[in-house]
Amino acid sequence: MARSIDDAVAALADRADATALAGGTWIMRAPIRREPPIRFCVGLTRIPELNAVDISASEIRIGACVTHARLVSALAGVRGCEGLVTAAGSAANPAVRQMATIGGNLCASAFPASDLAPSLLSLDAEVELSGPGGDERLPVGRFLERRGSLEPGILLTAVVIPRRALKSGHARLPLRKAGDYPVAIVSMTAELRGDGAVEDIRVTVGSVEASPRRWTQLEQALLGRRLDPNGAYDLAQAEAHIFTGRDGVDAPGWYRVQVLPALARRAAQAVLAGP
Amino acid sequence: MATNILINGEAHVSTREPMTPLLDVLREELFLTGAKSVCREGICGACIVHLDGQPVVSCLVPVGTLEGREVRTVESLAAEGEPSPLQQVMEEHDVVQCGMCFPGILMTLTSFFRERPDAGRDEVKAALVGNICRCTGYERIVDAAIALAKRS
Repeated sequence: MARSIDDAVAALADRADATALAGGTWIMRAPIRREPPIRFCVGLTRIPELNAVDISASEIRIGACVTHARLVSALAGVRGCEGLVTAAGSAANPAVRQMATIGGNLCASAFPASDLAPSLLSLDAEVELSGPGGDERLPVGRFLERRGSLEPGILLTAVVIPRRALKSGHARLPLRKAGDYPVAIVSMTAELRGDGAVEDIRVTVGSVEASPRRWTQLEQALLGRRLDPNGAYDLAQAEAHIFTGRDGVDAPGWYRVQVLPALARRAAQAVLAGP
Repeated sequence: MATNILINGEAHVSTREPMTPLLDVLREELFLTGAKSVCREGICGACIVHLDGQPVVSCLVPVGTLEGREVRTVESLAAEGEPSPLQQVMEEHDVVQCGMCFPGILMTLTSFFRERPDAGRDEVKAALVGNICRCTGYERIVDAAIALAKRS
């Protein structure tokens, strides 16, 4: 169990086979996935900075070991974070939400059904990394592309969300009402003008492909128009073909793509329902 | 490596490998077999215990992370030999079937009612999404939980 970020970075850089351990809900399931057991872990949950949530006028800084449950309680009522609170409060099940962390969720590159990753991507969040060569801040989208090939000793320490006059929504489709992985997710963050027209918007799709990504074609189509859930459905239907759904035991790939317009409508409804 | 844990109020030193699931320590070292080993991937909820007062799936908690922390299992609910109000209401409503999921359900609802003592039906159902009952006794379990909520 590391006591500081420097401690953890040194321990991770020291051994090529070392893995950072936060909430454990992904790593502890290695035997179920028939992966070789992980022999050497560097525990992060005792490092105070990694457990902090700091909300300032310009940004929200979330330590990597903050759990889903803690995100819900810390960000409830914070303007712009409605979608992230929905994502953190509906992922997996209540006991797993007490354990699973924001940093672990972003680092689990083999986990396609993350709720937080598409939500943070739609919020234009950045991640902070510490490593033997120093610190670095990069957009969460860049991190998601790079996360499979990080050099040893690189540690995700925090997620930073810029605060702007935004509204956000998160629409997910689990097969049961709750407790399952979502087969598809649409996360939407928008800045609306006084007349309801979209000034700025980011739409992301999660769980459909191996990693979440932005739906820029739909963003372009929504830009400048009044945000209307049924209109979002129609525009999404015309643009859904750019995704190639992954086949899984829970749902075939085509189904994940087919439900996207309905999720785009629900995400737009959630954005409009925000304060 | 030795890990000092407070389990149901008693000090325990575990010498198992740090990545050993807490569930295995409870069942194999302490013979606290209330928490059940079923899916071992955090989906079924049969192994839920309280860690510093919050419900967690003990199959996914590495024992090496627990130095100085407090664990409570279903065995602690009737510590004085007297079933807790939740246990009593479940017995009154004759809810228990095979019993496999039940310790986890009691632990989930015990912490849930601490925060939401007068919860409604939908909230109780939402709280139980991580507890799978293969006897499908959900409705009666929820009925009993609601009866307790109405007494508060």
